[in-house]
Amino acid sequence: MTTSLLEVGSWRDLAKVSSKRSFFLAICGAVIGLLLAGYSLFTARGTSTLMVPAEDVALVNQQPISRSDYLMQLQSLYSVEFSQATRQQREKVLNDMIREELFVQRGKELDVASTDPDVRNALVNAVELEIASDAITSQPTEAALRSYYQANAERYASEGMMTVEDYVFPANGAAVSQAVDALEIQAPTPALIARFGGKSSGKVGDEEFYFAAKIHLGDRLFEAARGLPQGGVSAPMEMPDGVHVLYMQKNVKPALLDFAAARDKVLSDYRNERIRHLTTADEAFLRKRANILIADDLR
Amino acid sequence: MRMIALSVLAVCMVAVVPLRERYVEAHLLRADPGSIPSDPTLLSFAAGRGTPLFDAHCASCHGPAGRGDQAKGIPDLTDDDWLYGTGQIIDIERVIEYGIRSHHPNAWNLAVMPAFGRPRPSEADAKIAPLSPPQIRDLIEFIFHEQGRDADGAASARGESLYLGAGGCYDCHSTDLRGDSAIGVPNLIDKITLYGDGSRQALFMSIAYGRQGACPAWVEQIGPTGIREIAVYVYSLSHSVGSKHDN
Repeated sequence: MTTSLLEVGSWRDLAKVSSKRSFFLAICGAVIGLLLAGYSLFTARGTSTLMVPAEDVALVNQQPISRSDYLMQLQSLYSVEFSQATRQQREKVLNDMIREELFVQRGKELDVASTDPDVRNALVNAVELEIASDAITSQPTEAALRSYYQANAERYASEGMMTVEDYVFPANGAAVSQAVDALEIQAPTPALIARFGGKSSGKVGDEEFYFAAKIHLGDRLFEAARGLPQGGVSAPMEMPDGVHVLYMQKNVKPALLDFAAARDKVLSDYRNERIRHLTTADEAFLRKRANILIADDLR
Repeated sequence: MRMIALSVLAVCMVAVVPLRERYVEAHLLRADPGSIPSDPTLLSFAAGRGTPLFDAHCASCHGPAGRGDQAKGIPDLTDDDWLYGTGQIIDIERVIEYGIRSHHPNAWNLAVMPAFGRPRPSEADAKIAPLSPPQIRDLIEFIFHEQGRDADGAASARGESLYLGAGGCYDCHSTDLRGDSAIGVPNLIDKITLYGDGSRQALFMSIAYGRQGACPAWVEQIGPTGIREIAVYVYSLSHSVGSKHDN
């Protein structure tokens, strides 16, 4: 009894060496170490695990089926949230997803990509997407977008708009130059145009965007029209159907859209260009490292 | 002995904190997204951890308070208007995960506002024809009329014909102009404007030059836990105490 009390006392006394204390602490260390190792082993990614990670709903041959994809599938198939879905609905979606994963894995084993054109196309699209993932999953800075916008300003202009009158006069008539003089003084009216033997060509009427005016007037007349100021009259232009004279009611020339107004388009163009650049660079790399032999007759 | 006890206690305390976090994290991921708002522990845990993630990934566009920027068409995340889905955590999560028009195959990308003032308004649909400036103005009068604002009656009537006819606007915005959050089409008659101040000029810009706002897909950069935490945080922005959504 006396010995036992003495041993307990020495175990507690840190000033003295105690083999029991050392043994106890070593055991504690080993247990904590084993617990941590066990926890890491069963939850670490990339290792074979017996536990389904919290972010997944199943593992099929260690390939995860994401919980988020499962919920999305459930919602798109039955238009219900998880809590409102019946047990049968949940099981159906899960089984469908497991089936899909099993078939995908089997497809890889059978190398269906070598024969099935649909699979080949899907693979090409998927690899392109993978290559572009850097561009897809990152948000360019505002400074980068502004700099892109400034470098490609011509793409971000508004469409010009014009309201133009197109009059046609008989060819070889001296009245045309008199009509031009009259139009420079006063706005056109049907009576004024008729006085000089002219009429509206009927090609244009209401206000139009430049691209539409170009289609309606034709290249030559449009080129003459776009430079006219409001109230401007063109020089007579001889064409197969007579001599044309243009009178500009209103001409709003294209202007650079401000950055905020064009930002959507800038972001889209910026991202598309980055994707194109990444895809081209990756293709060049793949070609460089590949061993491609071409038949003699196609070289 | 006391020293040993204290040391063991300290070690346990240090170990317990991350273990508890892992436990709640797993619980958060396994929880039905629709049930998280009614679980105060999960809500505060996720919203707290979502804040710095939001600051790091989303605030550069949406602003630190999530109020967006009308000039750039970046939506306000604190109001009760949801362009995609109904504002539930699962909807927000999907946007963060796969983005909007991000080129990711799972992204929201069904609806792009055509640029009716360009020669080819839609890259995806060659049948969509351009409109003339007067036609666009008629449409604007119709929208103003439906919003209950002052509008030119004759122009509004012409605009209605265009809206329901050649313009094809009803196809996305629906015949009652209330849009469709299943494909990300805005309501045209509520008080909330995504782009600009709702003026005639701002509407002209939208109709003539189109809209195609984008949000990146974060799925490769942020793990599932982070995505859910941001989603819960964004949800909390519009569902804080006293908000219209607060139950």
